[in-house]
Amino acid sequence: MEAVLTRHIEANAPLDLEAYRSVGGYRSLDAAFARKPEEIIEIVEAANLRGRGGAGFSCGLKWRLRDADAPRPRYLVCNIDESEPGTFKDRYLLYGGPHQIIEAVIVSAYALQAEKAVIFVRGEYGKGGHGLHRAIKEAEMAGLVGSNICGSGFDLQMEVHISGGRYICGEETAMLNAIEGLRPNPRHKMPRPSVKGLWQHPTTTNNVETLVNVPHILLNGADWFRALGINSGCGPKLFCVSGMVHQPGLFELPCGTPARELIFEHAGGLAEGRTLLGFIPGGASTAFLLPEHLDVPMDFDPVAKAGSRLGTASIIVLDDTTCPVQVTLNLMRFFARESCGFCTPCRDGIPYLAQILATIASGEGRAEDLVLLEELSGIIALQSFCAFAPGAMIPLISSLQCFHDHYESHIDTGCCPFDAVNKSGA
Amino acid sequence: MNDKLDRQTLQKHLAQLPLTHPERRAAVVPLMQSLQAERGHLDDRGVEEVAQVTGLSTTEVEELATFYSLIYRHPAGRHVLRVCDSLCCSLQGADRLLQAAEQYSGVSLGKISPDGAFSILPSICLGLCDQAPAALLDGEAVGPLNEAALQVLLRRLQEVD
Ligand SMILES: Cc1cc2nc3c(=O)[nH]c(=O)nc-3n(C[C@H](O)[C@H](O)[C@H](O)COP(=O)(O)O)c2cc1C
Ligand code: SF4
Ligand code: FES
Repeated sequence: MEAVLTRHIEANAPLDLEAYRSVGGYRSLDAAFARKPEEIIEIVEAANLRGRGGAGFSCGLKWRLRDADAPRPRYLVCNIDESEPGTFKDRYLLYGGPHQIIEAVIVSAYALQAEKAVIFVRGEYGKGGHGLHRAIKEAEMAGLVGSNICGSGFDLQMEVHISGGRYICGEETAMLNAIEGLRPNPRHKMPRPSVKGLWQHPTTTNNVETLVNVPHILLNGADWFRALGINSGCGPKLFCVSGMVHQPGLFELPCGTPARELIFEHAGGLAEGRTLLGFIPGGASTAFLLPEHLDVPMDFDPVAKAGSRLGTASIIVLDDTTCPVQVTLNLMRFFARESCGFCTPCRDGIPYLAQILATIASGEGRAEDLVLLEELSGIIALQSFCAFAPGAMIPLISSLQCFHDHYESHIDTGCCPFDAVNKSGA
Repeated sequence: MNDKLDRQTLQKHLAQLPLTHPERRAAVVPLMQSLQAERGHLDDRGVEEVAQVTGLSTTEVEELATFYSLIYRHPAGRHVLRVCDSLCCSLQGADRLLQAAEQYSGVSLGKISPDGAFSILPSICLGLCDQAPAALLDGEAVGPLNEAALQVLLRRLQEVD
């Protein structure tokens, strides 16, 4: 597949407005303004573009569910908070091609008839955020952002919000609070942001990778987009591969590409003599998959069928020198640190789980600890206020199932078998 | 500590307000960031100033300042090295790297080196997992790091300043 989303990505020298236009940039504005907004939503829905931020919700459907006569002003929020361990795709889009993002936000805002767009960038990507801000100013000067864009009668204000930092800010409603200057806790599920979102106005949030597909769909059509995927997947997909592989990296490939191809061809496979223990397919809050799942197409439904989630399509590879108990402990420490603290099961429960795991990892655990972990993880997932805690419990519950023998051997032998191996090897 | 802002400073801060937003409090994060960029951290005076400009109480500003991981309420070194300790970096030796950083520099994580040159902070995934083990030095990506590279980097920080 020829690169679509990364075709004009230049990591260290992103194209400026003129250069971007000379390679066909901003052409989708004409294609958009020639259509009625609802036609664009139909095309995006027909393309089966599914959200790239983690949940895989249909983008076209989300847009249609934001009522066409929703009161004004309406907001579009573009999510570049990317903080899910293993995930770095949005960084490439941000640092490598700010104008591609701006173009995508313009045509998407037009489809939604939203007059205000906020692009939310994680603080650690601040330099990229400043570059994006400068690119927006460039686009404003050229009449591509602002009032009556290209004589279309469509007005759009666009700005960048650089986050103060914390994983939870990437959750849609916490993000709205962050933008409003409130404490970034998630909000109640109801009313939905599409009804009462930013400043209580109708708001649509999409991941940046989702949005950058839209100009290409407008220019080439829904059928073209669907045909780009393989094995039931639709469109191009940005895959991150990291962990115990030779060449970790970002790979733009057809959605539906099997994990085996990603790990062993594109990322160069494992180190000499190592074997695959398993992998996480979609970032830190997705369930582990095992070597028997290598041929599962990396697309939303097949990965779900295999018992996990495509999530952010970020594969983290574990080999036979990695201790799955340590891996799980690392993930739980991440979630314990990043809990927003608003509700007790998550704030107090996850650190407790991490503590139990640490005991097991060091060889001091008891058989009852495994039962306790199972019980508590179920309770925490059910009793918490937002999707963060259930997401955090997924790798734990899955780890206890996939790697049960490893947990038992830590408890039975009173030490971490990998410590012994790694020390004698060193 | 109730010194009122002079008019000029107030104007300067207000000029930064995101225009698309209906309420002043939306400026709280950008304001904290810009004061920190000026002063190295958000000091008590900064909290007062942010409160005055945004119309929030100092308690509310304090709550936000302590919530956000990139806002420092205490002085930090002139250079800040944030070393990732999340999964992909940990698989590539981040834990050893963090220990080595403390040992080599003699400065504990989160503290300032005696000359004020740098602080080393552990961080969640920096979105640099393809360069693991990775770090951010004053916002610039560095990685993959090893102990030798880290030593060179820390030595340079002490010399440059
Ligand atoms: C704890 C948590 C963190 C999240 N972080 C991000 C993030 O960093 N980036 C992102 O695009 N979506 C993130 N999401 C998902 C968003 O809430 C939202 O669903 C997404 O931005 C919608 O975009 P999409 O439909 O285009 O995928 C997060 C969700 C949760 C529960
Ligand atoms: S589940 Fe965790 S992140 Fe979500 S509201 Fe509760 S404390 Fe905050
Ligand atoms: S896990 Fe270290 S940068 Fe992502």
